[in-house]
Amino acid sequence: MSNHVSQKRSRALQRREDIAGYGFMLPSLIFFVGFVLIPMVICVYLSMTDSNMHTQSGGNFVGLTNFINLAKDKVFLDALWNTFVIVFVSVPAVAAFSLWVSSAIYKLKMPVLSAFRCIFYLPVVTGSVAVTVVWKWIFDNYTGILNSILKTTGAIESNINWLGDERYALWCIILILFTTSVGQPIVLYVSALGNVDASLVEAAQVDGATDLQVFWKIKWPQIMPTTLYILVITTINSFQCFALIQLLTQGGSGTQTVMYYIYYTAFKLTEQAGHFGYANAMGVILAIFIGILSAVQMWLAKEK
Amino acid sequence: MKKLLALLLVGVMTLSAVACGSSDAPAEETKTETKEEAPAETMEETPTETEAASITLWTYPIGKWGDEATVKGLTDAFTAETGITVNVEFLAYADGDDKVNTAIAAGQAPDLIMEGPERLVANWGANGYMVDLSDMLDDTDRQEILSAPLTACTAPGGEVYEYPLVMTAHCMAVNLDAFKEAGADQYLDLETHTWTTENFIKAVEALYAHYNDTVAAVYCAGQGGDQGTRALVNNLYGGSYTDAAHTAYTWNSPENVKALEQLKSMDGIAFDASLAGGDEIAKFYQGILKMAFCWNIAQQLDPNGAGTGAGLTVTGEEIAFMSFPSETGTSQLQGGIWGFGIFDNGDAARIEASKQFIKYMADSAATVDAVKAANYFAVRSAAEGTDLSAIWSDNEIMNEYQVLMPQLGDYYQVTAGWAGQRTAWWTMLQKIGSGMDVTEALVQYEGEANAAAAN
Repeated sequence: MSNHVSQKRSRALQRREDIAGYGFMLPSLIFFVGFVLIPMVICVYLSMTDSNMHTQSGGNFVGLTNFINLAKDKVFLDALWNTFVIVFVSVPAVAAFSLWVSSAIYKLKMPVLSAFRCIFYLPVVTGSVAVTVVWKWIFDNYTGILNSILKTTGAIESNINWLGDERYALWCIILILFTTSVGQPIVLYVSALGNVDASLVEAAQVDGATDLQVFWKIKWPQIMPTTLYILVITTINSFQCFALIQLLTQGGSGTQTVMYYIYYTAFKLTEQAGHFGYANAMGVILAIFIGILSAVQMWLAKEK
Repeated sequence: MKKLLALLLVGVMTLSAVACGSSDAPAEETKTETKEEAPAETMEETPTETEAASITLWTYPIGKWGDEATVKGLTDAFTAETGITVNVEFLAYADGDDKVNTAIAAGQAPDLIMEGPERLVANWGANGYMVDLSDMLDDTDRQEILSAPLTACTAPGGEVYEYPLVMTAHCMAVNLDAFKEAGADQYLDLETHTWTTENFIKAVEALYAHYNDTVAAVYCAGQGGDQGTRALVNNLYGGSYTDAAHTAYTWNSPENVKALEQLKSMDGIAFDASLAGGDEIAKFYQGILKMAFCWNIAQQLDPNGAGTGAGLTVTGEEIAFMSFPSETGTSQLQGGIWGFGIFDNGDAARIEASKQFIKYMADSAATVDAVKAANYFAVRSAAEGTDLSAIWSDNEIMNEYQVLMPQLGDYYQVTAGWAGQRTAWWTMLQKIGSGMDVTEALVQYEGEANAAAAN
């Protein structure tokens, strides 16, 4: 009897905790459903319509026409290629650099460590417009400090139009993206490395393991969840590179990306028939690629 | 106690979430005259008799119509006269179209907008968002307003989607001191502010020989200021941008091929994909470039908007405005026309109040101030008995600038597909600058422009 009462009380307590838990989740859930889930569903639906700014009804159903047209759209294919270049260069570079920096600084004394964390995190918390303006000055074709230094040191004879030349512009974007992307991974890696079980490291060292072996066999598996998170987040951010393109090149000089092309099609090409549907189709393609790449990363990390 | 605290926290969080998403703010809070004013909030008010006494105006930076203090002076005077308050949002050319298009798509367009026929007539008007203002124009108005701007503000069906206020002719500018230093001033006719293509080429050669550096840029980082590059290319050898009926783009002509090949071949002229019109003006103002292809009277009065003196660079060198070079010396300049349009938000009271605003600003004694705020020329000779023909008589630069007005060319910005073709134009210039064959580029991008027009 007492057992039955106790079970009943336990279930009641559990229910109350569940209700409280869902209650706390509710505000986020409202935002998630309202600003992520519902727009996603609308996006997928609109991608199969000829919807545009001038048709309030949502347009006519056109099946996969938008996707077929995208496969033939040279600008989109170029944008997709550029996006992949950014992702495949930026993600490994960010992960490797932040791991290297974190490994070098995580054992430093707290004030010094905090200073380093602040320095690397500064570009992240600085507004992207401010960061971009400074980089625009640095890369300026006529008065930029980069050209000035390179000319003074004899590295170049005449000014290079960094942001106006197809050979350099995308790499400049990747460089800026890199500086604004490494802050968070460094902070996360410093924290993850600090949490590695010291007794395991010491045991390995006593057994004669080299530094590389200690890192690869002891630390690396323990920071794997952090690495996975960093890879996924950096991949998504790189795929969604928009502000830099908008502020620096407007998709010119061979820097068109899918994200910018979506914006351009949706909000600039308002006279073009079906421009909303077409832009949404690009959004769906982008989401699919991000999903695939994230899944592959997770699968690889799990295998490891 | 713990339960109470948990419930309290949940309540607070839920409330904050709801509050953040709410648009039920008091009406007064939504009516502040600020750049950050949320357009959505102003349009969510329930249309009633009293709210017709409040309208919203979105304005692009047309001279001092982009300046908050100046516009406040104008709207305050209007409010004092009519009792109608005007909530103003200031748009930038960089993202103004995006804001307007987003607002239209969301059904939250402003009551009034100030810009040119390429947006008000050819885009938003053609798509049925604007109110026909033809009932505001009686026979006297039609006599007073110049026919060219009125035609540009009228749709093919006769609807007037823009009530014109001011106009100008876009031109180019030269750093006169730099020209003199290089001995290139001999190629300029400073009486008529014109020059021939031959003299332009000689001037660039002289400047390059003297400075051994880029002296002018065919800027093509974006669409900003593209009226300059269009006018430069079209005028050099008499090419055209569209057909006379404004139905198709005509870039691929022998004249335009010749012009682009000439520009591409010239030392001292760079096809610069890192500069847009505004950047080019800044470089010219700083004395780095010796010529600017993106210029007009507003720039001449206040170069780079820096407030450092009319007709002067930052270092005090003299700036001379010039017509674009052409074989004969007489060019077809790109016109700029600006005025007001009303979005049809389905509220007769607000539309009526907006019409009162237009009447006050564009056809009354107050038009003098409205025109002067724009730093351009009035499109009409008189407004309700007030003579507008001599309002700039006290301004030497404005008077001198009038020498270019007879060269105003065709207002082809109302051609269909305008927004799409602009990207095709600057992308084409970028490609030519990076080595693409001129004819090949013209064929490809003219095709894209006409595809946009056909859509």
